Amino acid sequence: MNQQHVWQLFEGLVTSIELTAVSLLVGCTLALLMTVTLILRTPIVHWLSRGLITLFTGTPLLVQIFLIYYGPGQFEAVRESVFWLWLSQPWFCAMLALALNTAAYSTQLFQGAFNAIPAGQWHACQALGMDKKATLSVLLPYAIRRAVPAYSNEVILLFKGTSLASTITIMDIMGYAQRINAQTYDTLVVFGVAGLFYLVINGILTIAFRRVEKKALAFEVTH
Amino acid sequence: MALSGYALTLAEAGWLTIQLAFASLLVGLVLAVFFAGGEMSRYRVLSWPTTALVTILRGLPELLVVLFIFFGSTQVLFILTGDYVEVSPFLSGVIALSLIFAAYAAQTLRGALKAVPNGQREAASALGISKQRAFIRVVLPQAVRHALPGLTNQWLVLLKDTALVSLIGVTDLLKQAQLTAAATHESFTWYACAAAIYLVITLITQRVVKRMDKKFSSQGLGNAQGASA
Repeated sequence: MNQQHVWQLFEGLVTSIELTAVSLLVGCTLALLMTVTLILRTPIVHWLSRGLITLFTGTPLLVQIFLIYYGPGQFEAVRESVFWLWLSQPWFCAMLALALNTAAYSTQLFQGAFNAIPAGQWHACQALGMDKKATLSVLLPYAIRRAVPAYSNEVILLFKGTSLASTITIMDIMGYAQRINAQTYDTLVVFGVAGLFYLVINGILTIAFRRVEKKALAFEVTH
Repeated sequence: MALSGYALTLAEAGWLTIQLAFASLLVGLVLAVFFAGGEMSRYRVLSWPTTALVTILRGLPELLVVLFIFFGSTQVLFILTGDYVEVSPFLSGVIALSLIFAAYAAQTLRGALKAVPNGQREAASALGISKQRAFIRVVLPQAVRHALPGLTNQWLVLLKDTALVSLIGVTDLLKQAQLTAAATHESFTWYACAAAIYLVITLITQRVVKRMDKKFSSQGLGNAQGASA
């Protein structure tokens, strides 16, 4: 393993981080929407959310990635539609699988945080004569803040999950590591260095989230 | 008729996945006890390396651990013996998965042991029960109840992680689906089948777990909490 290989791993790191960031953005938005449909029990849509959660939390991420990347090609209609432009790209498929996966787990977290809102706060809003919309706009920000500690775990899991994208030809850290390993047969060093990359990023994420938690949950300390 | 043949191989592969998961669970639980013990040890020489190992294992992607164990074990054996020995993919898979499981389960066990009030140990010693006996008969049964929800969650994660061994050549559920998909050019059908089987296994486990939790909590923990309140 030489210097050039280390630079390749850095290139992979950029891909990994990009993939994490985009999936996180899409996944989080989707999770918030799904949480709202579950809370409001929107007809039909909340069944859809339930189904999505069961499906994506009950099966391995690797199967989801394969299903999304290899699956649609089976159907002639999909191959000729406009979606094929996207679905034939490994990067988009990996992002979609990761985003849906994290959305499913995050929705559970958000819903858990919502259910943990003390009954007294609901009563207080009711006593003030607020309607459902006003009540939610008061209570939701706090519920979301309480979800931060659990959500930080989800972000780290997602970053670790991006390594699976290497199985559908994406050159992230793991993709380069596997290629360098095949070239040099120096497994212990190559995977050791690749592992170091993951450990450093996860360490940074952990520390950063600890800061965010402190700020986001400051309101709980004061009362 | 060809379809039933493929379905049969898929069912066999599903059985292999279950075997792999249970083997990893057993080894992982034993390892977890050692990890938890090591982390709580009074001796720095023991607690430091264990904590470092567990932290590293939890910070690495599962895929990296699996590949590291599979390819790395061959290299280590080559350095040690000078011979090219290939460790079987199944064994490497079990080692990697059980290590990952143990790293997370150790945290759960540690938390559970700490959740048992110290008064329980003191009461046992006041009654003249020896330390080991108190640990096995008094502390452990209570700790298990605290640990159960966390451990069952970890079991579900482990079950899903078994899919990774398909990448090192174990013909598990996912690998078989991959082979069948390649042979029939029906990728969606077979990957969806594999996903459905994983889902069924998960849902069945969840049901069993719920029943187990109910049984354990009704047996003591609920009463204990009621008594203390």
